[in-house]
Amino acid sequence: MKPFCLIALLIPLHPAFSQAPGTMDQPPAAAPTQAAPAPAGGSQSSFLGGDVPVLDPGSEIVSWDGRNWNINNNRMFEARFEKFLSAPESDDASDREYQIIIESIMDKMAPNRVTPNSTDEAFQLLPKASAFDVDANLCDAIANQVYSSWLARRSKDRLVAANKGLEDERKRLEWNAKVTAQGNSLDPGRAGGTNDTASTETQSSSNLKRDMEMQPILTRLAEINGLLKANQLKNEVAELQVKIEFQALLVQLFLQRRFQHVVIGTRFYRSIFADGDSQLRVGDDAKNLFSKTTGLPPTLGTIDSMANEVMRDVGEGVAAFRFLLEKQELESATKRLAETFLIGEYLPGVRTLDRDNKRQALAFAQAANKLISAIEVKDYALAETIVTELAGSAKDFDSSKPMAAIETAKTVSAMHIAKARNAAVSGDREVLETELRAATEIWPRNPSLAEVSSQIFSQADVQGRALLDFDQLLGQKNYRQIFDDRMRFIAATAMHPERQEQLRQVLDNMSTVEAAIIRSQAIEKRGDYAGAWESAELAFQENPDDNKLNQLRSDLTTRAADFVRALREAQNLETKNQPGSSLAWYLKAQKEYPPSEFAREGIQRLTKEILPDAT
Amino acid sequence: MARKSSRPLAGLWLVLAIVLVAAAFLGAVFLFSGDSNPYRTVPELEVRSYLENANSLRGNVYRIDGEVVNSLAWSPTSGRLIAVGVSEGREILPVLVTTEFNQINIQKGQKFIFLLEVDENGILKTKNLTKS
Repeated sequence: MKPFCLIALLIPLHPAFSQAPGTMDQPPAAAPTQAAPAPAGGSQSSFLGGDVPVLDPGSEIVSWDGRNWNINNNRMFEARFEKFLSAPESDDASDREYQIIIESIMDKMAPNRVTPNSTDEAFQLLPKASAFDVDANLCDAIANQVYSSWLARRSKDRLVAANKGLEDERKRLEWNAKVTAQGNSLDPGRAGGTNDTASTETQSSSNLKRDMEMQPILTRLAEINGLLKANQLKNEVAELQVKIEFQALLVQLFLQRRFQHVVIGTRFYRSIFADGDSQLRVGDDAKNLFSKTTGLPPTLGTIDSMANEVMRDVGEGVAAFRFLLEKQELESATKRLAETFLIGEYLPGVRTLDRDNKRQALAFAQAANKLISAIEVKDYALAETIVTELAGSAKDFDSSKPMAAIETAKTVSAMHIAKARNAAVSGDREVLETELRAATEIWPRNPSLAEVSSQIFSQADVQGRALLDFDQLLGQKNYRQIFDDRMRFIAATAMHPERQEQLRQVLDNMSTVEAAIIRSQAIEKRGDYAGAWESAELAFQENPDDNKLNQLRSDLTTRAADFVRALREAQNLETKNQPGSSLAWYLKAQKEYPPSEFAREGIQRLTKEILPDAT
Repeated sequence: MARKSSRPLAGLWLVLAIVLVAAAFLGAVFLFSGDSNPYRTVPELEVRSYLENANSLRGNVYRIDGEVVNSLAWSPTSGRLIAVGVSEGREILPVLVTTEFNQINIQKGQKFIFLLEVDENGILKTKNLTKS
């Protein structure tokens, strides 16, 4: 798993490391004609944003730059993965030809077959491979780096030749200096020795002459030595620089998951730099990527072996995907394909997967993503539907976790709704709002929540309307309507003491009216229309606005017309201060209906008026 | 000649005799008819008019022939207020029998002829009464 860990954390997390061959939606990865120099010195920590990404294979979480992603739940990865699943397989003639060229290059540069001729042949194939879109000019980058290395090697040869000339010159100068120094011993002054003074002067002159002759030789010799040292240093630096550039390119290709190019590059590298020095000379962070994940020293061999391992693993991943797909174990198949795609997006095994198989995985991935989204937005009804669908389509889908989350949310939401219902019934508005809010937070799209809210708000609306109607009817003195809808108004005014008292008075009056009506109707049934009318009239005088009573009274008026007329006339004349006529009419009314209270009271009243001191 | 003058005289006597007989008959009828209404010269009260507007009849004197229906009230100073059925009992009128007739017993069912005056309040006050 270690190569997985390393590679998984490398690629999809930065656009610069991602390439979509054959597409133009992202700029192609850097195809440097000159590879970028590797970071120098371990003090620089800017590689990958100053933090090395780490993948925990257990939780499938990638940690990078202080953030965490699940590789199966990352928007960028999801987008790329779904695009890959929707894309047709890359199995046309162009792709096949490209793969043939790549494999040919790798074959010609294989360690046991490489020769100068095969190296030249492989080098000539690099531009051909680079002509394909899928290559993204990476073979050109390798070719450029190889060519630069060759130039560097030729420059080294020239430096060696130059140094050889300088060495000859140095030897010649040393010889000259030696000869010059020896030539002084043949001087005649030194050989005679007859005159000391003259000899001394001659000696001095000879020494001066020798020094003058030696000086340019020594100067030139120093210059030659300096040039020799400079050339040696230049030779070493040039080779090291080329190596570093080449290694940086290989690391970059590795990070881009171009593992075939990595293998090609390492084989060219080894053929060019056959000195056995394969140590990676890149920044500490890049070194750590390999050393900490593989546990091996960071060398070119490490990169090469890891690239080969990845290619093998991708092949196995694709095979596993096909097998799981046959078994309808879509969840595992999709996960294996996602893992394989993550590391081997550009390898032929992944690119040539047929579209129909990928579509099955796509359907599952989309449903799974939809499920995650549904649970994230707490749409548990939709989530439950998706879980059911997934369980039906994928034999290995584990529905226990999502179903547990869904059922828990539903249960808790239902409890809050039940409490809200109780609060609504008891009129506890504060608890009602709290419970509704809690239920909404847990399951915002709960159908029961909408239903209960509708009921509660409808109830509130009905209550408000009932109160409004009550006020209007009260203003119109339409007590009959209030009495008829008394149940509605009793419920509506339960929380309004003032209206409740008004309603009580209305209902009390109406009870009296109703009793009078019943009594009148009972009397009417006996044929005593005048008595029925008088009973209705008594109630009418107290409740003149009651339509029902008024109607009954009108009906009875026609049935007891003589009595009513006598009484009306009596009352009318009484108001006109005609006690004689009025009394006569009252007497007539009493004759019509002897038990009449109206007549009796009228007679008493007028009698008292006529005879104030009557007994 | 004598025969000519006796025929007109006979006819005259005959006519005179018929007139006398008729007058005697009428007198007998008058005398024996039982009409003892002492206020027959006084107009009878028009009950309808009274019921409609008694005030319009104030100051007038009428007579009514009716039956005592009920005694409504009694005042030692003003007299008795009784209900009298008239027009064969179809109408009932209140009549104030003033104190000057206190000596007359008035009971339900008795028939009287009342001489009445409509006073300033439209009340029928007895000026006189007699049993009929």
